[in-house]
Amino acid sequence: MVKADPSVLVAERYARGATVAAVVIAGFWHLGYDLVATVTNWGVYSRAWAAAAGWVLYLGVGGVASVLLLRGGSRAYAWVLGLGALGVDVLLLVAAPGAVVLPANWAWGSVGWVAVIAFWRHRAAHLVAFVVADTAILVAGMVVLDVGSSEQVSRAIMVLLGAFTLQLGYSLGAHGLHAAAQWAARSSAARTAATANRAAAEAVAADRAVRYQELHRVTATLLAELAAGADPSDPAIRRRAAVGAARLRRLMAETDDVPDSLLHELRAGADVAERRGVQVSLSVVGTVPELPVDLRRALTEAPIVGLSAARSLARVTVVASTQEVTVAVVADAPDLHPTTPTGVTLDHDHDGTELWLQTKWTNNNQPAPATGGGHG
Amino acid sequence: MVGAERPVTVAIVEDHPVVVDGVTTWIGADPERRAVVVGSGDDVDVVLAGPGGEADVLLLDLQLGDTVVVDRVAQLCTEGRRVVVYSALDDPETILTVLEAGASAFLSKHEAGSHCVDTIVAVATDRPYVTPSVAGALLAEAPHLSVQERTALLLWFQSMSKASVARRMGLSEATVRQYIDRARVKYAKLGRPAPTKTALLARAIEDGLIRADEIREYRSHAAGDQ
Repeated sequence: MVKADPSVLVAERYARGATVAAVVIAGFWHLGYDLVATVTNWGVYSRAWAAAAGWVLYLGVGGVASVLLLRGGSRAYAWVLGLGALGVDVLLLVAAPGAVVLPANWAWGSVGWVAVIAFWRHRAAHLVAFVVADTAILVAGMVVLDVGSSEQVSRAIMVLLGAFTLQLGYSLGAHGLHAAAQWAARSSAARTAATANRAAAEAVAADRAVRYQELHRVTATLLAELAAGADPSDPAIRRRAAVGAARLRRLMAETDDVPDSLLHELRAGADVAERRGVQVSLSVVGTVPELPVDLRRALTEAPIVGLSAARSLARVTVVASTQEVTVAVVADAPDLHPTTPTGVTLDHDHDGTELWLQTKWTNNNQPAPATGGGHG
Repeated sequence: MVGAERPVTVAIVEDHPVVVDGVTTWIGADPERRAVVVGSGDDVDVVLAGPGGEADVLLLDLQLGDTVVVDRVAQLCTEGRRVVVYSALDDPETILTVLEAGASAFLSKHEAGSHCVDTIVAVATDRPYVTPSVAGALLAEAPHLSVQERTALLLWFQSMSKASVARRMGLSEATVRQYIDRARVKYAKLGRPAPTKTALLARAIEDGLIRADEIREYRSHAAGDQ
């Protein structure tokens, strides 16, 4: 199932509340006003059966319209229900021809509430058309029955205006509220997404800042030494500068989104060495599995130190499988003893001219037995 | 068969004249003058039609102009030629493809200078010569390697000198070479038979590098060839 947009959910809840309210209003109106009017004027009706039938028809039409609206049924029956509601007008007219605009004929103002429910999911024009039809029946009734005194006309106008203002007002207001809710929910969702994005960006930036600080500490020490008069031609100083440059380059490479992160970071280290004029070859056997950045850094740290110390030649090799990843550098470099990072094993050898450093990660997390121990 | 009295003859198929000159210089610079270039050109057929057709070893660049001639390797080896493939395409897949087709050895362009003459001389006598790039490819694919053979291949692939590999492993240099060559010979029995592979296996048995019963498939190949 597709996850619903939260803005849609919020807006739906608003819409549901408004429809339930419309049904409740119509229900209370019919029980609290129509029923009371029918019972108290029972003696006024010349055809009481028609008044009773009108009240029951209203109840039936209203019930069907409410079920269709609340259960999400078909919208196609709206005008059938509308015509049913207009039938209530006719029945009440038949019931008391002498009381067209008296309280005994409660239909004129009440049927609009059924129409509000029936036409809820249609454009406002439908509800207006219904109101016009309701008015037309009243006018026709008054003309046919010759009920035309100014008092009766103004009473009719009052009944219709009072009812229609409430009904149209409620319908339009509720729909407007729905649109506003949708808009508010959408903007709230957009704000939530923006906040989440910012939090993620901040986390990445903070992690990078920590690593940058580490590098900064090392680099600043070196620069301070140089400023204090350390000899830039001293091979040890040069090597530390080269290592710092390679680490900075790796820091940048770590944030690149590339499929083969480990090789990408090694290439960055090789790139820095090549710029110093070192001839670097990089050979890879096997497919490197996905490794977290900490592990990649542990695997590349010693090889980068070796690369940075190379005088003219370096060979970097990676032999990888899902179980084991071995990164090695062989370079014409002075003897070095990098510290062993956590998570990998480090092997070291120097035969007088050639430095060999090898880091190895094994999948089962069991520390591999030291294979010889080198000079360390 | 090449005798000790005369140098190994080499034909070079390569489309870049500067590379031909470079390889010729390496061969000429060998203090013992163990090899000599007898023909070269950028077309396999043209080189073989000339004096290169009789050469002991054919040094073949895989990329000639715009075409990659991997397909020609099998045909040349079936004719009994000893082919040393020489290419910048040194991924394990390419290396194993040409070895499987019967190439005697593979030289990656970055390692050619230090291994070129040794490779040519070894191949001329049907002996294995494993360059570091081939060691990497064998690590990925070769069957039934012992732990020692695997370690030797790994260290050799990482390009320590054989002396350094020997020191790391606590063995003599000759033993390290044996482990590496054995891995190569084990790979030679795979895939379709070729006269060059048969010769390599036969020489390995003769030299005591491997016992005949270690490579049962070899016998059936040899029987098929006779």
